[in-house]
Amino acid sequence: MNEIFQLFTIPFFQRALIASILIAVVASTSGSFLVFRGLSFMTSGVAHAALGGAALGMFLQYSGIVPWFDPILGALIFSVLVAVVTGYAGESGISQKMEVAVGVSFALSMSIAVFLLHYIPPTQVPQVWGYLIGDILLLDNLDVILLGGTAAVLVLIALLFNKEYVYVSVDMEGSIAHGLNARAYHYMMLITSALAIAFATKAVGAILVYAIMVAPAAASNEIMRSVRGVMVTVFIFALISEIVGLAASLAIQASPSAIAGIIAALIYVVSMQVKRIRERAASNQDFPEVEDLSETFHESLSASAEQAHEHEHE
Amino acid sequence: MSKSNLLFDVQDLAVKYPNGDFALHHVNFTVESPSFMAIIGPNGSGKSTLLKTALGLIRPTRGTIKMMGYDSVRDGHKIQRMVRYVPQRDQIGLNIPMKVKDIALMGRLLKKRPPRFASSKDKEITRQALEKVDMQDFWDRPFPELSGGQRQRVLVARALAGKGSILILDEPLAGTDAESQRLIVDALEDYHKNNDVSIVMVTHDLNPIHRMVKNVLLLKRTVIGIGAPCSIMDVDLLTKVYGPTARIVEYAGHRYCVTHDSGMDRHE
Repeated sequence: MNEIFQLFTIPFFQRALIASILIAVVASTSGSFLVFRGLSFMTSGVAHAALGGAALGMFLQYSGIVPWFDPILGALIFSVLVAVVTGYAGESGISQKMEVAVGVSFALSMSIAVFLLHYIPPTQVPQVWGYLIGDILLLDNLDVILLGGTAAVLVLIALLFNKEYVYVSVDMEGSIAHGLNARAYHYMMLITSALAIAFATKAVGAILVYAIMVAPAAASNEIMRSVRGVMVTVFIFALISEIVGLAASLAIQASPSAIAGIIAALIYVVSMQVKRIRERAASNQDFPEVEDLSETFHESLSASAEQAHEHEHE
Repeated sequence: MSKSNLLFDVQDLAVKYPNGDFALHHVNFTVESPSFMAIIGPNGSGKSTLLKTALGLIRPTRGTIKMMGYDSVRDGHKIQRMVRYVPQRDQIGLNIPMKVKDIALMGRLLKKRPPRFASSKDKEITRQALEKVDMQDFWDRPFPELSGGQRQRVLVARALAGKGSILILDEPLAGTDAESQRLIVDALEDYHKNNDVSIVMVTHDLNPIHRMVKNVLLLKRTVIGIGAPCSIMDVDLLTKVYGPTARIVEYAGHRYCVTHDSGMDRHE
């Protein structure tokens, strides 16, 4: 027991815990809206774009073309580009078009990353891959501060504009017709989400980001019946996944991101089942009425069959 | 607040679809305000496009469309402030856990500033609007779980609860059950009588609203006819639009149309 308490005094574990809470906040305030918008795929698109951008940044830095260019700058620029391209494709409100745009940007940024890896000094290559795999146990203070800032901005935006985000997702055309500047909110939602994903990717790696951004929001959307309910459960599901991931990583030497991803996916599968069971229960209640009607129907069928019989004899 | 008392003033309007085909061309007409107006015509005749152009959602290729004197391109936001719009039902996303009250309150909250909190007055007016279409008992129910007709009634209530002197509805009766159709038509008729609002309705089928409509615009990419319902219910005019199978039925002093486009309607 004492050993567990001692854990909480170790700085890297404290940072990992704080980061877990912050990532759960990001998932709740950004992931929920992306799932509402039908854009869960954008999370992985942006996370990989961040990887491509970081590779470009590192290339510019080490080739001496732009020595001051930090990889995170490249990651942020690429992420915003993906958001803008996606937003442009989806201005009419059709989310299928946005998925295609995300798919293309995804392929493009991964290609750029792989292409540039060849020109980056081999010693720096692991730093690029760090964007993909990352490790919540290896954060420094700056990572945590950046994450904290991102989470704070997202909470503020979600408090101010959650209705606009929902309205744009639920009825883009009607919102514009009522005078809402829907295009502005559409882009704001995509760009802030992209920036948040890029910062989170830098801190904990793309794999944890899309595990935590997508699955808890999709799971909550299956079972909750209000927007606020979804946002609260996303936070809880995300935090549970991450804490289990952290605990497992200490107990059995596993990657916390991997475990968290598996737990989040399991929560999604369970939620789908819960929804199905609920629907089955609801349809059972309606059953007696249907039975009554079918009896009447059968009676009328046999009656008309008898009539048809009589006609034949005539 | 209006610049003229013409609900619509359309001059030489042409609008293209994104693929380059003309959705509308050589459209000229005026309608005086206030009116209960129906825009009819077969599928793909440009009815919805006309509305979206009027609201400033689509830019005309040529010509102008004005509502209450405001040009759709230059003063689109002023038109949007006057208008309450009911889009086609399938435009509403169903993968978001909105309750009936959330959807219905949009009508009032969209005209406020962020963070758009619903006051008790907003809630009261919205509740009354839902009562008019007999949906008050569904206040806390999830919107995506309603039937098509019930969803349409909620959208009409959303418009009734809102503010603005023009109510625009795009196919509010399409695919609704007879009960919902009756409730929607009655609510609109009642609202039009008791309030100083114009109602503009795109519809496949004029018959359910026949009695209360003042102006009918018959559209097939351009204006085929405009006038009172019974003058539009003309065999020659309708066969021109709907083909040789269109028929006129007279019943209880009113003319009803039967076309293959909308099918025969339930008219007692």
